[in-house]
Amino acid sequence: MSFRKKLLLIFALTVLFCVVVISASVWSTMRRSFDRANDDRANAVAAQFRSEFQRRGDEVVRKVEAAAASESVQRIALEINHGASDSGGYVGEARNLAVQQHLDFVELVDHQGTILSSAQWQAKFGYPEPAIPSAIGSAGAFLKREELSTGSTLGLFAVRAAGVGEEPLYVIGGERLDQGFLSTLDIPAGTRVLLYQNLDANWNPKALLDLNGPASGAEKIAPLVEQVRRSGQESQSVIHWSDDSADTESFHAIPLNGPNQQVLGVLLVGSSRRPLIELQRQVISAALLVGGVGILVAVMASLWFAARITRPVVSLAEAARRVAAGDLYAQVDVASNDELGELASAFNHMTEDLRQQKERTLQAERVAAWRELARRLAHELKNPLFPLQVTVENLIRAKEKAPELFEEVFREGTATLLDEVNNLKTIIGRFSEFSRMPQPQRKPTQLNDVAHSVLRVFQAQLQEKSQIKVRTELDPELPQISADAELLHRALSNLVLNAIDALPQGGEITVGTKTAGDEVELFVSDTGSGLTQEECSRLFTPYYTTKQHGTGLGLAIVQSVVSDHGGKISVESTKEKGTTFRIELPRDAR
Amino acid sequence: MRRIAFLLFAAVSLLSVAGGETRPRYGGTLRVMMQARLDSLELSTNGTPGDYWDAARVQSMIADTLVSIDIAGRPQPGLALAWQSDTNGRRWSFTIRRGVKFHDGSVASAAVIAQIMGERHADWTVRGTGDALTIESESSLASLLAELALPRNAIVKKNSGGSPIGTGPFRVADFQPGKTLKLIANEDSWAGRPFVDAVEIELGRSLREQDIALALGKADLVEASPQPPALNNSSQRVRTSLPVELMALVFPANSKAQDLRVREALALVIDRKPIQSVLLKGAGEPTASILPNWMTGYSVAFPTQANLQRAKVVLADSRQPTLTLGYDPRDPQAQLISERIALNAREAGITLQVSLSGVADVNLVRIALPSADPATSLREAARALGLQQPLIQGNSLDDLYSAERGLLDLHTTIPLIHLPVASAAGGRVHNWQPGRAGDWNVSEVRLEADSR
Repeated sequence: MSFRKKLLLIFALTVLFCVVVISASVWSTMRRSFDRANDDRANAVAAQFRSEFQRRGDEVVRKVEAAAASESVQRIALEINHGASDSGGYVGEARNLAVQQHLDFVELVDHQGTILSSAQWQAKFGYPEPAIPSAIGSAGAFLKREELSTGSTLGLFAVRAAGVGEEPLYVIGGERLDQGFLSTLDIPAGTRVLLYQNLDANWNPKALLDLNGPASGAEKIAPLVEQVRRSGQESQSVIHWSDDSADTESFHAIPLNGPNQQVLGVLLVGSSRRPLIELQRQVISAALLVGGVGILVAVMASLWFAARITRPVVSLAEAARRVAAGDLYAQVDVASNDELGELASAFNHMTEDLRQQKERTLQAERVAAWRELARRLAHELKNPLFPLQVTVENLIRAKEKAPELFEEVFREGTATLLDEVNNLKTIIGRFSEFSRMPQPQRKPTQLNDVAHSVLRVFQAQLQEKSQIKVRTELDPELPQISADAELLHRALSNLVLNAIDALPQGGEITVGTKTAGDEVELFVSDTGSGLTQEECSRLFTPYYTTKQHGTGLGLAIVQSVVSDHGGKISVESTKEKGTTFRIELPRDAR
Repeated sequence: MRRIAFLLFAAVSLLSVAGGETRPRYGGTLRVMMQARLDSLELSTNGTPGDYWDAARVQSMIADTLVSIDIAGRPQPGLALAWQSDTNGRRWSFTIRRGVKFHDGSVASAAVIAQIMGERHADWTVRGTGDALTIESESSLASLLAELALPRNAIVKKNSGGSPIGTGPFRVADFQPGKTLKLIANEDSWAGRPFVDAVEIELGRSLREQDIALALGKADLVEASPQPPALNNSSQRVRTSLPVELMALVFPANSKAQDLRVREALALVIDRKPIQSVLLKGAGEPTASILPNWMTGYSVAFPTQANLQRAKVVLADSRQPTLTLGYDPRDPQAQLISERIALNAREAGITLQVSLSGVADVNLVRIALPSADPATSLREAARALGLQQPLIQGNSLDDLYSAERGLLDLHTTIPLIHLPVASAAGGRVHNWQPGRAGDWNVSEVRLEADSR
């Protein structure tokens, strides 16, 4: 990844991180605010409920007091104190009182706790009223479970005694605590109130009431109600009504206790979380928008900044690539005085030094090459020159000292001279040939054919040296390549010749071909004494030879041919085991 | 002499003044109100006991039966003056009262009566010749006289318009089904012309409406709640019959309470006394038998005390389904009584839901006991309660007891209360002597002269 891309990425991530952090912070703050508002609303509704509860309780107390003070109750109390045994005439009294006082429940109960008359369940006369013992002392209203012929219900009750005689007559009156009660509450928008009448041992969905009667979706609220029923403590929960995340409601559950602190009801204040969720969605949308725009701006800015910042670096990298490619004249502009400017200046300085150093090296190498050439030429030429000098001196000496032998000496001398001159010509010819290496004339060429051709040339020579065995590993599927068959023939001949020279004591020569991906490979192996590492590294240097009478041009010619074909040559050698030369040539011409 | 004549005149004058209130006086229209909304003048078996009594009272004004049964269960002559049967009770011979005419002037001969009775009872062979009427049956007709005394066996035929034509003290002048019935005195009644000229009956009036009408002087004879006199308006004359109705719980054949133990437990757990003393304001008698004690004298052998512990023991291992308890909404006390029964049942763990909808598992019913003859009333009650006809082996009380016990052993019927019927007459009515079995005896009633 380029420095510019990294810089771009860092800028984008930074902006993204900032947007996410800010959005999360905003969202968190808003949610806390919303939850706080929810709590406030729930507390307000709960407070209102308690206030209404208290108000209605006071109202019930007032009505029950009025009922207890009514003429009919006083009369009944008086009759009871006078020993009236037949309570049959009182059966309808409670209902009359209930109508008069606008109460849902009224019961007349004697001092023994026996119901004399019941408005809510007329047939209940003669049965005990279980609430009497605990309710007698209560000044205010209290919650009570009331049994009816149709089932149980919850009511807000008060009890008062008719103060006539020694045997009190109790009036227990009350109002239903149901959806009618809920409808009197002033519920804020987005909030609703449910009431669970805890009248059964187990969860009863029909006992969960809203303003219209049994509430729908009661089963989802059941766990919250159960928790409050078990613990008797307030609790909160969020209810998901559907797959729509906005269709959720947070509930605040408040236990409603009876005189003995038993949970008789649970008030549930529900606040829709839709506004919160929609706000959340808006925040997320805004965050995405801001984030997107921010990232876009960041990208553009970072592009500009990156371009501005990385331009010297890119120039430097380009110059470095040119230097790596051998262009030691590469220079960068020094446009600033900062670290990058210093780096560019240093780079220019470095390339200048490298260039000077290379020129010095080239000059030294050139001198060395010339010296080597001169040494080689001197060496090559000195060998034939010495016989020439001796032969000429013999001829001179024979002319002066033994003219009679001169003719014979002259014949022998001229023959020697001609040989040495030919030898000189051969040497000069090789140098000339190396200097005039032709460019390859490419044609479709089968390397296997080249190998066969070379081996045929050396067939006679190898038969003379019967201790050398030749083995071929030619790939029959080897594809043709575009190459100059004659030059490859010359190169392979040099390798085979070197292999033969490497086996003075005999051995095995392997000539093979194979396909290696997009290239074909030609290799020649011998089982000779091998080469040292240093010898391997210098093998392809012109005029370097390990032979007694070599010119050092053979492998240089091979490398030249291979290089002209776009291939490469390598050598692997293990001392006392042998040497392998590998020529890798591209299938297609380059 | 003149002095004696004067004294005689004065005595006669005083007697005439003093006897002005008691001397039989003919004329006037007796204004009657009834709860029953009679659509026809035939006896219906589908109505409430109130409907039955009202229809029977109307029937008794229009028609006569061959015999009647007094409060002691003894047969009294009606259209038949005398009777006798063979030893096994399969053949009965009656001597028909001579000179009796139907309202249309035709003679109520033995042959006509035989035709009417034969059409009603296909299993009887009824013949009439001269003033002799014979009734034969393949089975014993031991209670034939009580059967013949039932209102449904009154001798009545219909005219072309479908109106009943009987031999009774009144004949139908106008009938608006469900609204009014006007009867006028039968001048040729064999028992003598009734004192009043006519009887106007307003139908379908509630007890409250009747009570108000009586208090305002707009009615002379009405039905009343069978509550003790102390709770009634003291200015009115209320006459209460002996208990001639039975309030009971009846389990229909398809009831969910198929387990005998559930039914027995329910019978044990019901506390009848508060129902009678409070809800029925002391009217009637708690009972666990079908027939009232005044008929049989043995109803104490059927204990009425609630026994909750025993009920719980009986129910111990039984499955207790939720049962629905139905009642007749026309009966003003039925709902409250049903709720009380449900409350009692709940103590034993039996769930009874009082309901008016659908087919109930147990019904609170009220039936009439139409005859002072216990065997006949037991048969009629069994028919009305949907029970099998009782097997009364003989004429002894033991036989009757065994038959009644047999009816109640399965607890498919739980008797609760025996109830009387009550009527009230206004101040204009004189010589009103209603029967103890709920009949009105309107033919003997005289009306005070209208002062208006």
